[in-house]
Amino acid sequence: MALDAGADDTVLVRASQRGHREAFGMLIARHAPSILSITKRMLGPTADAEDVAQETFIAAYKALSRFQFGAKFSTWLYRIAVNKCRDSLRGRRSETVSLDASGDESDIAWEIASAETPLLELERVELAGTLDRGIQALPPLYRESFVLKHVEGLDYDEMSAILGVNRDTLKMRVYKARNLLCRSLAHLDGVYR
Amino acid sequence: MNELTSDSELLVQRFLDQELSAQERLDFIARLGRDEPLRQRVIDLERLLLHTANLERPAVPDDFAARVMAGTERPRPIWQRLMDALWAPRALEWNLATAVAGVCVVLLVAGGIYGSMLGRRFSPPGGTPAPVAVVPSPSIVLVRLVIVHPGAKTIQVAGDFNGWTPAPLAETSNGAWTVTIPLEPGRYEYMYVVDGQQWIADPFAAEQNEDGFGSRNAVLDVRPPSAPTGAPL
Repeated sequence: MALDAGADDTVLVRASQRGHREAFGMLIARHAPSILSITKRMLGPTADAEDVAQETFIAAYKALSRFQFGAKFSTWLYRIAVNKCRDSLRGRRSETVSLDASGDESDIAWEIASAETPLLELERVELAGTLDRGIQALPPLYRESFVLKHVEGLDYDEMSAILGVNRDTLKMRVYKARNLLCRSLAHLDGVYR
Repeated sequence: MNELTSDSELLVQRFLDQELSAQERLDFIARLGRDEPLRQRVIDLERLLLHTANLERPAVPDDFAARVMAGTERPRPIWQRLMDALWAPRALEWNLATAVAGVCVVLLVAGGIYGSMLGRRFSPPGGTPAPVAVVPSPSIVLVRLVIVHPGAKTIQVAGDFNGWTPAPLAETSNGAWTVTIPLEPGRYEYMYVVDGQQWIADPFAAEQNEDGFGSRNAVLDVRPPSAPTGAPL
């Protein structure tokens, strides 16, 4: 069966369920950028993040016969990725903050450039790096909500389907994350503004 | 960060989430013109979101898909590997000593067959037949899976051992379903599929694992035949 590169996810998933490996390859090519973006922003730019992205697709492939189109394939895939990231973070729990987002904001160790950094010397790349580190310093529950909302651009309904948490809770987590990040970037006053 | 009243803070968040009605949005924008702290707060947050949206996506390594696909390759079924081993062409090297040894083996086997035929001819009627020993491959363990599920129309099993492709169990009696599968020693995760729809863990399994999708997989620990096993055979 020849597959059109523009075939939608449903067609590719059905073909993959019938054992068409090329179709699953096309799904990987389509969704790898988002999944890698999530794992790298959740886990940091380590080889671990790439392994977790890879494990996400392998787990999806193995469970594909159970996928019944009750949700979008991408939603299902994001959910697997988030669960894999949580597993990975649990493994590192001793070296990072708790998975519970109940910690006081002041407890969070911000790895943000100091306020003395010369404003004009900070390039766009450095700002992005600072922002990235700020995102990774967020408590994991805030971080996953913020990444899905503002990096991946998902709406609260889809986030709710992925994370299994109601909209109001997600709004609160995103709100907290925005405030924490805004406060951290305020150190970069001149560049940031 | 500017400190705002909770009322203003709520408005700002609803504005960012694009949840204000057209009228509320208009009122909010008008208020920004009068309220400097509020305006600065919105600018700070909008800038944050702009930079976040502009973050570069990590590059996908060229061999990423190939590595994933390699990880999804199903192990070939045992019977297929056995057939491959049987039919794979092999070069046979020999010398005079091995040829002599081979002839001796043939003579011994032929003598044995002849002797057993003589023995059968002279054995008394009704004698005890020789027992038939089935010698399984030393590395293969036959595992019988059993589930009792009265009312089910079909039961299938899917797991690591069959690439998570559901395979049917046979109904025996009173809602009991069973299948026997040859497995190499190792740990396997599996689930039952009831009526082609409902995925359930094996209620008799001694161990279960989270499957990462909100369900639990049963774990089958197949030990080598000589070792004591927890497998439900």
